[in-house]
Amino acid sequence: MSEALGRVVATERKPNTPHEFHFWTAIDSPVGIGTIVRVDGAQPVDGHIPHIYGIVVEGFSYTDLQSPMHDVLGHDGSPSAASFAATERAEIRLYTAAVLRQIPEEPLQPVPMGEVFLAEEQDVQVALRMDGYLREGANTGIPVGVYRAGGTDAVIYLDADFLLGPEAAHLNITGMSGLATKTSAVEWLLASMFTHFPYEKGSIAAVAFNVKGPDLCYLDKPGRVEDTDEKLYEKMGVEPKPFSQVQYFAPYTAKGISLNTFRNNEALLDNVKPLTWGLREVLQFAEVLLNKDDIDAKADALIDFIKENVVDREMVPDGVMSKKHRVQSFADLDAWFRDVLQGMEKKDGESWRTHHVATIRKVRNRLSNISTRCAGLVTDTGTVSDLPFGSFADRAVYVVDVANLEEDAQDLIFARIVSKLREHLERRDLGVKHLVVFVDELNKYAPGDGADTYVRKMLLDIAERGRYLGLVLFSAQQFRSQVHRRVVGNSGTALFGRMDADELSTPGYTVLSPATKTKLATLEKGQLMIRHPHFTQPIFVRFPRPAVMQGREGAEKYPQAAEVSLDVAVLRSLRPLDPSITLAWVQEITALYTDDEVIKARNATLIARPENAKAYFASQFKRIVSAQSPVRPMAASIKSAPDDDPYGF
Amino acid sequence: MQLINSGPDHASRTALKLLMQRLPGISEINTSVEVDSPGTFDQPQLRSAQIVEGSVMRARKVPGVSRDMKSGFGAFLDGAQKVRLIARHEGVPLVLGTTSAVVRVRVNRRLTTWGHQPPKVDFRLYLPLKYLPPLADLPLGETGLMVVDTSKADANGDYPSPHPQVLLDRAIRAIDQQRETLEDQIAEAWCARNEAPLFVDGGINRSAVVASSGCAVGVIKSHRTLYVEDDALKIVLNLGVNERSSVFKVSPRARNSVLSCYLRQRSPEGHDPLWGLVRVEMSECANPSDRADEISRWILAEKNPLALPDGRWDKMSYGVRDCEEFLRAIS
Repeated sequence: MSEALGRVVATERKPNTPHEFHFWTAIDSPVGIGTIVRVDGAQPVDGHIPHIYGIVVEGFSYTDLQSPMHDVLGHDGSPSAASFAATERAEIRLYTAAVLRQIPEEPLQPVPMGEVFLAEEQDVQVALRMDGYLREGANTGIPVGVYRAGGTDAVIYLDADFLLGPEAAHLNITGMSGLATKTSAVEWLLASMFTHFPYEKGSIAAVAFNVKGPDLCYLDKPGRVEDTDEKLYEKMGVEPKPFSQVQYFAPYTAKGISLNTFRNNEALLDNVKPLTWGLREVLQFAEVLLNKDDIDAKADALIDFIKENVVDREMVPDGVMSKKHRVQSFADLDAWFRDVLQGMEKKDGESWRTHHVATIRKVRNRLSNISTRCAGLVTDTGTVSDLPFGSFADRAVYVVDVANLEEDAQDLIFARIVSKLREHLERRDLGVKHLVVFVDELNKYAPGDGADTYVRKMLLDIAERGRYLGLVLFSAQQFRSQVHRRVVGNSGTALFGRMDADELSTPGYTVLSPATKTKLATLEKGQLMIRHPHFTQPIFVRFPRPAVMQGREGAEKYPQAAEVSLDVAVLRSLRPLDPSITLAWVQEITALYTDDEVIKARNATLIARPENAKAYFASQFKRIVSAQSPVRPMAASIKSAPDDDPYGF
Repeated sequence: MQLINSGPDHASRTALKLLMQRLPGISEINTSVEVDSPGTFDQPQLRSAQIVEGSVMRARKVPGVSRDMKSGFGAFLDGAQKVRLIARHEGVPLVLGTTSAVVRVRVNRRLTTWGHQPPKVDFRLYLPLKYLPPLADLPLGETGLMVVDTSKADANGDYPSPHPQVLLDRAIRAIDQQRETLEDQIAEAWCARNEAPLFVDGGINRSAVVASSGCAVGVIKSHRTLYVEDDALKIVLNLGVNERSSVFKVSPRARNSVLSCYLRQRSPEGHDPLWGLVRVEMSECANPSDRADEISRWILAEKNPLALPDGRWDKMSYGVRDCEEFLRAIS
């Protein structure tokens, strides 16, 4: 057993309670804020010597000096003279610790006097109640970091049942931007979860929304791992390697030529797929893109009518419409609107099938606008390229890069993907049993104040009900205080990186001691404070740098491709399917066709991913260009001239 | 003499319990009274002493005094005592005395308890047995609490008066002596190991071993006896800061002779003439002048940190205050 490093003390003014105690240590003891200690009581209670585990939350230091003036007088007002004093004043290091656990747990009494020891690894497990889920048979511990104090290195585990459900779920991480904490911590934790999540509890995958910068764009590329990090990986039983299964999804740029992602370097395109939706997909989530002013009851009724009776239905001429319509794309929808409105104008009618002309014009305007606002994502042609709903792979990460998109398009992507995930999880046919959804910038998507947006409602829904479905939200933001309370409140686990002093002064942090706040405000990279349902107090840990390429490094090694000509874009897209494709070949095949036709052919090839990409791509044009053989026009019979024609020959 | 009321502590309660078992009819003093000892019962007096540095008493500037001078003391010794009037038996005071002594060693500029000799703490009952009913067993009970008879006859065979104040004075005197005994024991242990120079709070002439040891220096803060007369008195009272008197020899009756000098640690301007004045005792040596200068420099180097808030801070070194605080904590 190690030597005692302190003694519990209590005075009438500063008594110990069942949840807090005080102890002093030698000046050179390794105790600091966040250190976990064990108190061995001196007297047995109910026949057992009580053991109390606590975490240091405050520290005091003082000498026997009664007034600062005495020190000034003693050194004649010269600070430098103090160093000549033969003796240092008697000095105390007095700490306040918050109780983590008492054993036995009943009767719950004030902490008794006793010796204080530095907690060893075994003590840490008991103190944080990790012994309950690390025992043989439970085994649901997910390493999140290493607690370090004095000579103790103890792995801190989160309980998978409380991180991924069903007991509690969700994780929220807060920290200042630019310190490589939030994204790094999530990347590390995903790696740890994929390694340690028990196979008997089912499959697990993650969908990450890359909302800014290239941070999540190189998860499949190895990053720099230093010796200290390797030791942490080894200690926590995780291999320091990048994710083996990663798929990227990104819409096209507005021109539709190349993918709108940081990961559009040709060397990285093999696992990047386009994300494109057509009319049907978008119309289900029209609410996301149309604000309340847009959708009054009348407009809502017309949109419903379009969803039910127009899209994918045969519309025959009815006196207003002049021709047949089968609406499958935004282009078809616009043609249908035009036809209806022209028909109404001709008849001078004010309404069509109970819908007023003004409402029709308004809805046409708003819906047609969507394809412009979300250009690159929403296709006029109706081409759909989506996440592999139904065939999600175990331990795979699906990254949806929305970093370069307009806010509307981001909202639409988020709303539709999360809804689809939810639907599939409800039906148990997503492909995996548990799914983690990572969303950064929660300040923006689920603010505490502001409009009640569709996206915020969805996040609230995941936070409150997702755990029953296996849908787990990992969220991050810079200012926790500005995120909707129900989103952060429902996060069973909370991680905190270095915090801004202003943020720490908000009411949500009043439960933390001033010393803990100071430590939070000065945390180094790679350090976190953790709150977890099993831990009665926040714990500080270190986590290793994720073994994946960091955003900045990746952006330097794989620079984003510049906007290129359509031919080159097609070449880059198709080459991962067939490396023998050359620019000359692409130019030869596409020379006679319009840009839209070429893009359509490329997109169809990328979605089908055929074995013979060349043939498939070329065949797309055969359909466009009519294969009918020219028919010789019937020659009109030559009229014979009348006999009396004066001009006849 | 000052009486201080305070709640009974554990030692008082134990002693009182024992006495109540053996002396039916004692009246407990509800708030255990701590008696602030006057320190000495001697009347202020002047005594002549033999000057051994030159032929007349004079003021000497301590050479080599500077801000960065080093102290040669490696440890500090002090004792403490508590006198508690815990009960009366038909007016006769029953006193519990606690005496203690400690050496605090300086390691890396911090003071810590000397490892070779743990601090001494002693609890005794001081009872005038002549004026009490006979007690069955002494020491008392399983606790082994020693009893000191404060009603023994003096050298002339006279017993003390049953006047409660006289009996209380006797008890205090006995407790003083016990404290001095503990101090001497621990100082002798230090000297036996021939450790670094020891700063002793008080005189060193009670013990022959300590008085003759070169590693113990006594520093006396109280001046009820001044070892100067006539012009010499004026010289001592007019010593300036960082000045010492000529070395003289102190040879009290029934004690051991030592060399001594007065040293002014702080400027007396605006204060009484004894402000910052200490008397230094050291063993006899071949070159008392150099030795007195050296020890004076050491003592002056101990002026900081100040011993405030102790009222005697003008004369007290911080190491002695540390000993007192330590003893207050453990006794």
